[in-house]
Amino acid sequence: MKARSRKDVRRDQIVGVMVFLIIWEVSARLLDNSLILPPISAILAALWELIITGQLIVALSQSILLLIAGLIVATTIGFVLGALIARSRTAYWMLNPYLSALFVTPTIALVPLVLVWFGFGFPGRVTVVVLAAVVPILFSVASGLRDSPGDLIDVARSFGVKGEIALLFKVRIRAALPVLLAGLRLAAGRGVVGMAVAETYLRLGGIGGLIKSYGAMFQTDYVFASILPLSLLGIGIVSLIGRAERRLHWT
Amino acid sequence: MKDTVLDIPAIELKGIRKTFTLSEDRDAKTVLALDGVDLKIRQGEFLTIIGPSGCGKTTLLRIIASLILPDEGEVIVEGEPVREPGIKRAMVFQTFGLFPWKSVIDNVIFPLMVRKFDAAEAREIAMKHIRQVGLDKFVDAYPHQLSGGMQQRVGLARALSTGADILLMDEPFGAIDAQTRELMQEELMKICQQEQKTVVFITHDLDEAVLLADRVLLMSRGPGRVREVIDVDLPRPRFDYDVRGHETFVKVRAHLWHELRNDLVEQRAEETS
Amino acid sequence: MIDKLIRPSVFLPLVSLVVVFGGWEIVGRSINPLLFAPPSEVLRQFGELLQTGELQDAAMVTVRALFLGYFLAVVVGIPFGILMGAWTRFGDILQPYLYAIFATPRVVLVPLIVVWFGIGFEARLFLVFFWSMIAISVNTAQGVRHARPDLVEVARSFQATRLQMARHVLIPGAIPFVVSGLRIGAERAIVGVIIGEMFLQIVGLGGVITKGSQELLPAKMLCAVAVIAVLGTIIVTALDTVEKRFQDWKGAP
Repeated sequence: MKARSRKDVRRDQIVGVMVFLIIWEVSARLLDNSLILPPISAILAALWELIITGQLIVALSQSILLLIAGLIVATTIGFVLGALIARSRTAYWMLNPYLSALFVTPTIALVPLVLVWFGFGFPGRVTVVVLAAVVPILFSVASGLRDSPGDLIDVARSFGVKGEIALLFKVRIRAALPVLLAGLRLAAGRGVVGMAVAETYLRLGGIGGLIKSYGAMFQTDYVFASILPLSLLGIGIVSLIGRAERRLHWT
Repeated sequence: MKDTVLDIPAIELKGIRKTFTLSEDRDAKTVLALDGVDLKIRQGEFLTIIGPSGCGKTTLLRIIASLILPDEGEVIVEGEPVREPGIKRAMVFQTFGLFPWKSVIDNVIFPLMVRKFDAAEAREIAMKHIRQVGLDKFVDAYPHQLSGGMQQRVGLARALSTGADILLMDEPFGAIDAQTRELMQEELMKICQQEQKTVVFITHDLDEAVLLADRVLLMSRGPGRVREVIDVDLPRPRFDYDVRGHETFVKVRAHLWHELRNDLVEQRAEETS
Repeated sequence: MIDKLIRPSVFLPLVSLVVVFGGWEIVGRSINPLLFAPPSEVLRQFGELLQTGELQDAAMVTVRALFLGYFLAVVVGIPFGILMGAWTRFGDILQPYLYAIFATPRVVLVPLIVVWFGIGFEARLFLVFFWSMIAISVNTAQGVRHARPDLVEVARSFQATRLQMARHVLIPGAIPFVVSGLRIGAERAIVGVIIGEMFLQIVGLGGVITKGSQELLPAKMLCAVAVIAVLGTIIVTALDTVEKRFQDWKGAP
């Protein structure tokens, strides 16, 4: 049960990745079937091609726009409903059936319905991201605001903060911030999935559309080259929020 | 007493030194935790160890238990040098150390089961000690269903069930509320007197250190050393009169506090400078 | 009976369901009953799908791939997780890939799965198995690594052997983590099977959704969604119950 130092782990991981890439390159060249396994060099060439033709930038900016729009809407809805079910038993019992249903239904299964009801335009695509991302935000808001520490409320009251609304903004939300960020982090991860689903299933666009169209042309090297930035986008956003979370961890 | 067996110390420590390496990624720091501890603990003696936090009390106890090995020096138990945990010593842990997936009886049986006791015999021994600590009604309960005080009773019953002559107790009542603690101190004294146990008991509570002890060992901080060993010459049993009002108690406590306070003040001065 | 009905936990959801479904019925029927699929339309469709046997057949196809894939994931995932946890270096080296795979939406991997496994049963099985297996392994590895040091010390102080240590300390300590992995893995497996049925071979409950969208029949889609939701609820609730039972085993350090 010896703890390995972070430096050792990093070194092992870097060596591991290099070995993995070399094995990939060599076996791809031996296999010589770029449909099934394109060599790393071909993937990198494809990536470079996507970058210099500007396709990647355009696709990424479309995707990020969709993701951010979706997350903003999801956060707004999640906040309002979450605060409602945290502070009112009636609202909790009235909304509970729908939220439970949304929680257990895979977002992907709802996408065709979104297509029929909201169309494949921007509103439809945003709806998919919202459906994917709203649940963790809603639950984190609800639990964060419910478990708000009573002693802090008492302190605020004793120093003259009056009224439920003032308490909500001055104490409850601030006390709940770490929980809210954790919810947002989960939501961002699921939002990226929703974004990719929307872009491949509704109207082809963004990075998801790029992957699907190259897939339809069986250009596997380009498929890999466009999956890579998508994964990095997901990892990047999640770790960005994770970093904010750690900075805020005063509790 | 001329009995030669009793002349052999229960535990003898010879020149115990221990350093720790705090390995942070880049700069590894070594800290001297114990610097040459010599000590003899008599058979049947109740020794309490007190000292400022970070003085290496717990390290010393873990070395006595052979859970860690000293860099230099020797631990001798009843005349024999030891380097591994053994059946003559049983430990009681600060955080109770109960297996959450085992019931009270199974927790108490654990050391016997490890030693491959016959199941019926093990159960009988375990039941005896569960009764001794007053938990007969909770034999099949699980640790999370018990209060802290009750959990530590299980920890004590487990140590007793090993039949070890020596109990090593690491701040066993530190996580227990004040009133329950007093009751448990009383019960521990009763049990140890009945069973003639040798006890090494770590505490950070001055009253507890004086109340329980035949001798109090005061440790000094950074690096850990034996600063002083004080006899507590108070009549036993100690729970049927006002020990805390007794002249000796007051004197020993005041002396210990004076010494500890000096150490703490020094430490603060170092930290703030 | 009446007592139970006027409890807020029963009464309020009922009122809310009646209001929402009633409103949906009225609005949907007055605008376009085919497109907005009011509850009565969904029920009618549900009866029809049951009668033709389409829904039962689809559910069987889904459950078969789901259970087989999940079973494989458990059988492979737990030993693999133990290996990753016990051999820390191996686990550390693998971690970036698992992280990257987890961070990549499965939908975009569909083109790769098509070229590797085709669009048949194997491809769907892979979608169920692989992500579920990763979830189970990662959690198992965490359980193996996070043996409580205080309990290891207790066992050591009573001279437990390596085998006794494993049996009485390490394995029971890892079980709550494994069970969490089983629950997360099941969630992943359900999504996987639906993706496979919607995007690879149009069969099973996912296939019913896709067909419903091609026929522009939201009612049909909603029927399949409802069955998926019920299936998911049953599986996840069952595993959730098991998971809660083992929560006490984590204990306080």
